[in-house]
Amino acid sequence: MKTKIALLILFISSGLFAQEQKMTDAEIASFKQDVNVVAKKIKTLSTDFVQYKHLDFLSKDIETSGKMVFKEPALLQWQYKKPYNYSIVFKNGKILINDEGKKSAVDIGNSKIFARINKLIVGSVSGNMFDDKEFTISYFKLKGQNLAKFIPKDATLKKYIKQIELTFDKEEATVVQVKLLESSEDYTRIVLKNKVINAKIDDSVFTN
Amino acid sequence: MQKSTIQFLLINYFLAIVLVSCGSVTKNYTPKKLDKTAYDVPYFSDSKTDYVYKTNISVYGNELSGIFIAKKISDTTHRIVFTTEFGNKLMDFEISENDFKVNSIVSELDRKILINTLKEDFRLLLKKQYLIQEQFENESNDIYKSADGKRDNYIFISKKDQKLEKIVHASKTKEKFTLFFHSENNIFAEKIQIIHQNIKLKIELNYFKSE
Repeated sequence: MKTKIALLILFISSGLFAQEQKMTDAEIASFKQDVNVVAKKIKTLSTDFVQYKHLDFLSKDIETSGKMVFKEPALLQWQYKKPYNYSIVFKNGKILINDEGKKSAVDIGNSKIFARINKLIVGSVSGNMFDDKEFTISYFKLKGQNLAKFIPKDATLKKYIKQIELTFDKEEATVVQVKLLESSEDYTRIVLKNKVINAKIDDSVFTN
Repeated sequence: MQKSTIQFLLINYFLAIVLVSCGSVTKNYTPKKLDKTAYDVPYFSDSKTDYVYKTNISVYGNELSGIFIAKKISDTTHRIVFTTEFGNKLMDFEISENDFKVNSIVSELDRKILINTLKEDFRLLLKKQYLIQEQFENESNDIYKSADGKRDNYIFISKKDQKLEKIVHASKTKEKFTLFFHSENNIFAEKIQIIHQNIKLKIELNYFKSE
């Protein structure tokens, strides 16, 4: 019985390893181009998301969900709707927060991490992040998906985020999942779904 | 001569103030015969429960919000993590009656005075048992006094439904900070407020159910 289980585990795990296959240089080039072509067409993007906060000592991931809206060149809104209302807007070098009706603003100058995360999220939909000098990037193939792993080069950023993983839909070449791994083995996983590209989005969406 | 008289009067006056304020913590309460020698706090006591709260911290006019997570990881110890809404970990502590360990803290919050204040707050919040030396009552509460080093904790239990409503942490002369609890079932606190009387610090926790 034990051997059977061991074999099964071996089989499953080797199966998992087989699923995540390193891209060849040619594949990397074509993947980057695909993402860039699509990204260049994106003027607006809105998507629902579900966020799973995984902490090793908890029995269950903490699940929150809401909507993300992006508009060129750098307007971004993250809005948590469940189980609480919390909305954050990146706009003109400022972060606007609406926390259950309580409003505040932060200058991005004081919050480099937010600025970087914003740049990365916006970068992943606008296509200009693979050239970034800030990360060591590796590329993998999954079933129907592509995966890019970013390891920060900057020591400050590295303190907060050990690695960022972006999963792309192979056909659409857009991001379907963002995973932020912290220095310990804890992570935040954000799944994007019901994506709408280039619908008309008014600037007024980005007031909080 | 006159000078020393004034001094004497001043000292007396000062003493009088001290003596008056000495009684201030319990002066509105009526002493009562002890009906128990220990009180067990129901909140945060289940090792299977993830205690997850949306949190707002207001400190000297600055607002900070995020997610507060507490979990009982052993008989004596709780793990406490505070993250942003995005999930970035800001603080990670392990706390028990006698031990305190900082697993991690972002450099912006790494201030001794802040850590020590939170340590005191959280230790009281998560404390599972209070030994009682004196008992009082007012109109709506039974009030138990529990010694805590040089200070005391006053535990307020509602007469109506026997729920823990409030814990006041006080020196001999004045209140330092107060924990307010709101609980539907007396097992779990849905809403908690930690309010400091001597510094401008207020922590509000609102339980939320993950879907």
